[in-house]
Amino acid sequence: MTDFTIIGKPTAMVDAAGKTTGAGKYADDLSLPGMLVGRILHSPFPHARIKRIDTSRAEKLDGVVAVVTGKDAPNPYGILPVGHDEHALATDKVRYVGDNVACVAAVDESTADKALELIDVEYEVLPAYFDPEDSMKAETELIHDNKPHNLEKDYHHVFGDPEKAFAEAAHVAEARFIANEVTHAAMEPHCTLASFEIDSLTGKPGRLTVWSSTQVPYYLQHKLSLVLEMQMSQIRVIKPLVGGGFGGKSEVIPLEIIAAVAARAARAPVKITYTREEVFWAHRGRPRTIIDLKTGVDKDGHITAVKARVVQDGGAYCSYGVVTILYSGALLGALYDIPNIQYDGYRVLTNKPVCGAMRGHGTVNVRFAFESQLDELALKLKMDSAEIRRRNLLKPPCITINGLRVQSYGLPECIDKVVERSGWKNRIGKLPKGRGLGIACSHYVSGAANSIIRSDMPHSTVNIKIDRDGGVVVYTGASDIGQGSDTMVAQIAAETLGCSMARVKVVAADTDLTPIDIGSYSSRVTFMNGNATLRAAQDVKKQIATAAARKMACAPEDLVFREDKVSKNHVGAGGLPALAEQGSPSPHQQSSVSGRVEGQILRGSLQQKRKDEGPKDQLTFEEAVVAAIDFHGALSGTGSYAPPAEARGGKHKGAGVGPSPAYSYSAQVAEVSVDEETGEVTVHKVWASHDCGRALNPVSVEGQIIGSVWMGMGQALTEEMVWKDGMLMNPGLLEYRSPSSVESPEIEAIIVESVDPEGPFGAKECSEGSLAATIPAIANAVYDAVGVRLHESPFTPERVLAALRAKKNAKTLNLTEGVDPTSPVRFREHGGSLWFRGKGPERHAQDPSRRESVVKAGGDD
Amino acid sequence: MKKELIELRVNGRSHELAIQPSQLLLDVLRQDLQMTGSKRGCDDSSCGACTVLVDGTPMLSCTMLAASCEGQEITTVEGVSEHGSLAAIQKAYGDWGGSQCGYCTPGFMMTVKHLLAQNPNPSEEEIRSGLSSNLCRCTGYSQMYQAIKAAIEAEQKAVPTTR
Amino acid sequence: MSLPQFRLLRPRTLDEAVGYLAKHTDKLRVLAGGTDLIPSMRQKLFEPEYVLDIRHVVELKGIQPRAGEGVSIGALTSLSTIEHSDFLRRHYPVLPEAAATVASPVLRNMGTLGGNICLDTRCLWYNQSLTWRKGCGFCIKKDGDLCHVAPGGSKCWAVFSGDTPPALLCLNAEVEIAGPSGLRRLPLREFYTGVGDAYRKLRPSELLTRVFLPEASVDYLGVYRKLRVRGSIDYPLAGVAVVLKRSNGHVSDARLAITAVNPAPLLVKGASEMLAGKVIDEALAEAVGDLAAKTAKPLTTSALTPEYRREMIRVFAKRAVLAANN
Repeated sequence: MTDFTIIGKPTAMVDAAGKTTGAGKYADDLSLPGMLVGRILHSPFPHARIKRIDTSRAEKLDGVVAVVTGKDAPNPYGILPVGHDEHALATDKVRYVGDNVACVAAVDESTADKALELIDVEYEVLPAYFDPEDSMKAETELIHDNKPHNLEKDYHHVFGDPEKAFAEAAHVAEARFIANEVTHAAMEPHCTLASFEIDSLTGKPGRLTVWSSTQVPYYLQHKLSLVLEMQMSQIRVIKPLVGGGFGGKSEVIPLEIIAAVAARAARAPVKITYTREEVFWAHRGRPRTIIDLKTGVDKDGHITAVKARVVQDGGAYCSYGVVTILYSGALLGALYDIPNIQYDGYRVLTNKPVCGAMRGHGTVNVRFAFESQLDELALKLKMDSAEIRRRNLLKPPCITINGLRVQSYGLPECIDKVVERSGWKNRIGKLPKGRGLGIACSHYVSGAANSIIRSDMPHSTVNIKIDRDGGVVVYTGASDIGQGSDTMVAQIAAETLGCSMARVKVVAADTDLTPIDIGSYSSRVTFMNGNATLRAAQDVKKQIATAAARKMACAPEDLVFREDKVSKNHVGAGGLPALAEQGSPSPHQQSSVSGRVEGQILRGSLQQKRKDEGPKDQLTFEEAVVAAIDFHGALSGTGSYAPPAEARGGKHKGAGVGPSPAYSYSAQVAEVSVDEETGEVTVHKVWASHDCGRALNPVSVEGQIIGSVWMGMGQALTEEMVWKDGMLMNPGLLEYRSPSSVESPEIEAIIVESVDPEGPFGAKECSEGSLAATIPAIANAVYDAVGVRLHESPFTPERVLAALRAKKNAKTLNLTEGVDPTSPVRFREHGGSLWFRGKGPERHAQDPSRRESVVKAGGDD
Repeated sequence: MKKELIELRVNGRSHELAIQPSQLLLDVLRQDLQMTGSKRGCDDSSCGACTVLVDGTPMLSCTMLAASCEGQEITTVEGVSEHGSLAAIQKAYGDWGGSQCGYCTPGFMMTVKHLLAQNPNPSEEEIRSGLSSNLCRCTGYSQMYQAIKAAIEAEQKAVPTTR
Repeated sequence: MSLPQFRLLRPRTLDEAVGYLAKHTDKLRVLAGGTDLIPSMRQKLFEPEYVLDIRHVVELKGIQPRAGEGVSIGALTSLSTIEHSDFLRRHYPVLPEAAATVASPVLRNMGTLGGNICLDTRCLWYNQSLTWRKGCGFCIKKDGDLCHVAPGGSKCWAVFSGDTPPALLCLNAEVEIAGPSGLRRLPLREFYTGVGDAYRKLRPSELLTRVFLPEASVDYLGVYRKLRVRGSIDYPLAGVAVVLKRSNGHVSDARLAITAVNPAPLLVKGASEMLAGKVIDEALAEAVGDLAAKTAKPLTTSALTPEYRREMIRVFAKRAVLAANN
């Protein structure tokens, strides 16, 4: 059935007014009586042993209520069960500049700030590791004692016979690609407010309530329980409005635990809001990555084999790292038909802020390399770039060589659409010099088929309650972080129940009230929570139908729920005229009618009057609900979702990551121009088609596609975390350059609907999959424009100019700190010197920063 | 440091406040007046989430001392709604996807309000440059242009019929 | 992030302001638009005992053309006002063009011309939080003894990052400075020292009050070109201003200045002579570009690499000369 009343219609977000008026509350907008401000002391050293912490001077400062350190919460935690290597506050060592050492809870911010200066910490500096390939050589002074060679995890997968396939290939391309580090930079800095209640029985602090800017309230509840040694049922996590996440709030961030630890010590509510610099230190972004990629094709352009060696600079703790490195390999599959794959992935620890999950988790950097190399091969074959992609399509339903089940597959249509809309055929290779087009594709999971906490529990559960006046309350654990999941849930409930959106209220992400949902990450919410909502609504609907059918003297299956009416099938089939005769307001009108309550009372008495009139062909939604409550005694329903066994992947080590019940697909064409004298790249337009299965809310789907493409453009051109010996040179929004409106191009979002057999109304993910294609689409367009092939992102003007000058054999200038962006060997460090002949910060004698600098001094002139 | 008594006019009302001279306008709005609509997004005056109008001109409330604004008329996002209803631009941002996570939205409301007050019919180029003081991380700004165009249209339609 | 605490002085007149300056001298920082000082105070780069808030000293605002004597611009005139001034656009176009590139529209509503001239020099090793600076062992400009960008030397190379001063230098602007002994005037080109940590010749008891553009600089063709990564918000990573006058197709007078690549904005020596009397063509413009690049001494104070920024001075100078000629 495609004749929906709500699904597929552009729908304003249910919480839009709160956002546009400023009335909506984010975590930092909340306050409690007696609330204290928490501020965190951070490590100035990249790697050091804490020998002694003396907080006594800080504690004596007037206005300071509590100072906590690692010993106040010594239990380790981590988002992955295999990666419990973090502490709320350092217990023995600090592992990056910015690591968490102590927290002061005080009456106000300036008092807390002053107190931080009064905490005396004695450190023993240790050698630090900043480059993953160096770090892997370490034998002693490891970052974590149980991780030899600072290797968090490595995986080695071989599917098929890649070596044979390479030997038989018509063309093979092989190169190193480097993608530099990027971060989420959500507009809302992380914030947590924690408050204990005094227990009535014991008279002591009992239940804990935490309001936090999180994508994963349930995981937060779980980790708080671990660290605080409290039962989960004693901890309530409430997610207020969240100002963007993109993965940066998809795991437990130190301040979330620290706030609770401080509140417990201070015996008062404590709120911690990160400064923007602290957000950069908390990070969990996309690791800088080395990708050694080899691809073979036959003479017709079919990919015969892919071999990838991927090294990720993961930072100081595990975070999602094991999953990231697995995604990077697994998602080589499921986009194209690749018969032979070899993957060697290394997740390496370094003394830098921790990398984690970021939009397009694990797939983005490898996709940049892959789609760039595919274009290089197309060139060798003298084949059109769109055509080579068409030659390598999967033939679903199928299971890929690495065990991924693909059912719905809109990629062919995605490619056709962007080729058509961009005028590709007539324009590729024909634009004036300096202007070019590039194409690339990508895909992403609609949620992971295997939860990070291994169990058989459903990934999402949703409850629905309906009251006598027909008001529908949906209780969902889904975390709306701005992507619109509350609206999606309301739409699915309303569509299924045949009632207006105005009837539906969504109560979300409050662990006391809402059943478990594992969170907003890996693009799982529409698919999984949507399915749970659908099932919960079907459960209630069935109950209503049973009761209504009795009233209407028909079988429950004969009833149609639509537009606030429950009708016998033939009436429904008669369609709208029947409704119009009754003069009912349309759902839209009804939602805007004030005095709705009086109307309902009136209808209620009308319904009473009609009670004796014998069976009817149609009931209003309220009448049907009243009948159901009268009949069943109460009206509530439940639905849950767990991915089917068939979607959960293969049996090899690490097979758990990559499988998804459904994959989204994207194809993009970017049009750019390149200034050959400055190397500046301007993106004029991106055509982005995305197969989201079905667009439940087109305005939101388009917003998600555009947002993904735009964020990909940021990573392609302007965004980069710049490092020097473990110091982040640009920990702020002034120097970390998220694009402004001026250089943000028009992005034409094209929705492709493949209607997935298992998605709710056929829907799949739409919020991440498009990001990965943007970077290679721009890279390929730069090549088309000026003939240079960049193997290092972002394509900053200095890198592009370096490539252009090399191509022209112009005089060599050191534009890129010695790293050739067309053939990068290592990561680039910011110039200058941290340490110089005894001057600079205290660092271990073997610290890389103390290598005698090769930087030429500017000198005095 | 000793607090000083100041009188601050916000959204047409006067507030007498005892504040420290070092307090930023943003903090006074959010903490002393509980007007939490204006947001803090950065600490280096780059993001625009805290934008308010000072005597009708958009400025960053995180980069001004509250005491320095004495005698000036401050308008915050809380002052944009008209008689308890959404202003056209607020409605349009909701309808057209101009706001996703919403954290930057109050800042945009202020700059767009000012933009349209200065220039009721801006070109796309003018809108683009008018929005360039505020960072958004969700939308790529695209749907904001649609929202602004829709708001202009709604205003133009509304004027002759309702008044 | 709160500011360090201070006492706030709020003069309404210049006399009052000068009185406070004389009284508190180096215990005081001047607050005009706030867009430079306030972020730096958050980072504890300045922790003054007093802040002199001159926002409401009305006499220092506004653009006053003076018949036959050029124009006087109050130091507190906002960059937006400069950008939109019809008078300046007509007669001194390079200045509003440069002003229009500063940061973002909202920051230009706040930032003042005086503030842009007095802008503290910037460096990625300096404009950081106290915690960050502890991590890098501080630097020569604040609390340390090492210049991280030029480690062998003893000089601070923090870079001057204002957009309007190169335009003002090209226009032969003069600045008026008020102090305990009254007003003094000096050419802007003498205002900067070229040393990053003591970058301007302004005594702690003094205040920059006005900018004068001479009548002789009126109606020059002018262009400002700015290197930035984003189309808004960013400080310049390199900037070039050029003004020129022609008669019969030949350059009768020209000046070129650069910014964001040295601890001071600088007039490029020899550029005027190179251009004077010539017909501008690609080769001449390129020669001027080479000269400008030689004047630039960019270091790793900023985003993008020094070599790239120097190269852009060359390209932008060439382009600016060609654009001004068109």
